[in-house]
Amino acid sequence: MRSIIFFIGLWGCLGYSQNKETLYDFTDLPQSLLLNPGADTNFNYHAGVPFLSQFHINAGLRGASIYDVFADDGRDINDKIENTLNTLTSNDYLTLTQQLELINFGWESKKNKNIYFSGGIYQELDVIGYFPKDFAVLAYQGNQDFLNQPFRFSTISGSVELLTTFHFGYTKKVSKKLTFGARAKLYSSMFHIRSAKNKGTFTTVETPEGNNIYQHIISNADVTVRTSGYASLKDEEGKDIVNKLVGRAFLGGNLGLGIDIGFTHKINEQLAITGSANDLGMILYTKDVETYRARGNYVFEGFETPIQFSGQDPQNFLDELEEAVPLDTLSTTYLTMRPVKLNSSVRYSFNRYDDGTCDCYLEGEKPPYLDAIGVQLFTQFRPKRPQYAASLFYYKRFFNFLRTKLTYTIDDYSYYNIGFLTSIHINKINFYISANNLLEYTNLAKARGASVQLGFNVIM
Amino acid sequence: MSEKRICVLLCILISSISCVKDIDFEQAEDVVLTPVYEVDFVYSRFDTSQFIDSNIDPAIVIPEVIVNDTLEYDLLGTDFVVDNLERVELTFEFTNTIERDFEFDLGFLNDNDQRIGPLYSMTANSGNGEGTDPIVTTEVIILDTADIDVLRDATRLISSMRVQNINSSLRGILELRSKGTYFFNYEL
Repeated sequence: MRSIIFFIGLWGCLGYSQNKETLYDFTDLPQSLLLNPGADTNFNYHAGVPFLSQFHINAGLRGASIYDVFADDGRDINDKIENTLNTLTSNDYLTLTQQLELINFGWESKKNKNIYFSGGIYQELDVIGYFPKDFAVLAYQGNQDFLNQPFRFSTISGSVELLTTFHFGYTKKVSKKLTFGARAKLYSSMFHIRSAKNKGTFTTVETPEGNNIYQHIISNADVTVRTSGYASLKDEEGKDIVNKLVGRAFLGGNLGLGIDIGFTHKINEQLAITGSANDLGMILYTKDVETYRARGNYVFEGFETPIQFSGQDPQNFLDELEEAVPLDTLSTTYLTMRPVKLNSSVRYSFNRYDDGTCDCYLEGEKPPYLDAIGVQLFTQFRPKRPQYAASLFYYKRFFNFLRTKLTYTIDDYSYYNIGFLTSIHINKINFYISANNLLEYTNLAKARGASVQLGFNVIM
Repeated sequence: MSEKRICVLLCILISSISCVKDIDFEQAEDVVLTPVYEVDFVYSRFDTSQFIDSNIDPAIVIPEVIVNDTLEYDLLGTDFVVDNLERVELTFEFTNTIERDFEFDLGFLNDNDQRIGPLYSMTANSGNGEGTDPIVTTEVIILDTADIDVLRDATRLISSMRVQNINSSLRGILELRSKGTYFFNYEL
């Protein structure tokens, strides 16, 4: 129990979509190339410190916060759960994304200074669960207060995926105005489970004219849960599970292909627009696949006894149900699209440093602009509908070694999400840390989401 | 030196301003789920025209007719249900137009066909004949946690309907409809 509470607490602390609004187009960091392979970076080479170059966690809860349920306010927790349950809808969800870069490297082409190559490996865990409103109500309150109202199977929707991505990208300054880039990705999925587009209802109907008081009706049920990498783990324990997953991480899992593309277009010296599409790709699940599918219709109205007017064979409820709504286990190959993410921005830079008294830029570089403002848009495609976020940002370079970005974001979770990124560059060594939902930091329990990323790089 | 200081300061600042206030996760121990489920139970319909041949001389009186039935019925399902059920209310509703009382008995058997728990008996009051408003009798059996514990091994249900002094002039319909209301109390 304590560990569960700790996990919920941790989740509360780190609690938000895969939007990395502070890191996007932050071209002082090589990680910006992962969000836009066409980012206008200016490195000779870079190398992430293995396993430490980027840790990212992003959790979000749409519709409620930890505080709504666990507030220490003297009210009965059961009342608070019921209130929260009534407020939440089946469009509310929780998301959790965690990424860990194993390696990350890049170098400028020897033959052509305008070309930059970058590559690496990162691991990603991506969870989204929509709130199964109808069945949460059925479990928490029962059907007595909900007679004649359908409980919809469509409210059951979510996915969990654990995968590693091997990537290699190419960024080219096509002209003074345009930088274009693309990144090829090879996915190795260790574990995947997904249930979406379910159909049908369960209803308890009052039948004053019927054989019995009610009819319990399962109507047009069609519920599918796809899994891969799950069946063979069912009977394994601790260490064996880890060993199997590690094997799959390095290309032993279900494989997929994808691509990121992006660009930066400088309209003039100070004004630039950028855009990128990430994870345009798919994974083909062929190994260790089990799909569970239940379909059918069933009406239950009790047991006819002792006088069996209908003269039917004695009923066996469970057998009947199994026959009417059979559960099939299939092992057919399936394909899923990766959740596509779109980013775009408009950036206006100003306050160029040029008085020659401070070391605000490295030798050989053009004097940088110390400030920039702009807007960013983010979209991620999810099983039910896309998630959107819009940000305003302010970039500030204080000294050569300290570069920061402040963002204000409106998204599904809140209308006042402030994010901040600090990147420290001391000689070749770089450390950066970023977090959002800062207004909620004094009490993260009230936050509907938060995101943290940090890492170390060597940059030239 | 000053660069390092700023780094350290920033790290301390970020880690120290974040906290979780006014939250008591111990409350999780007080969470109680109390759903109430309504589920159909048994039903039956006795229509004299389907069972009694009207060509038989009405002077012939059958002193007693008993219909018995046994069916597979796992009242409480799993241990989880037994352990977290607080109360079950079985509600029976008889509607009768036949001019006779009917005795209805209900009981539960375990795997060895031994009866466990009491035999529940109830009477459906006699009606006023075919075409009249039916007489409605409602009976509620309440099973508390002690009863539920006794019935935890029930796997079959026995029922019987008994009626006396039947002849071919009797007309009408007896209907039985029933439901179980299951009150759970489940602590996390």
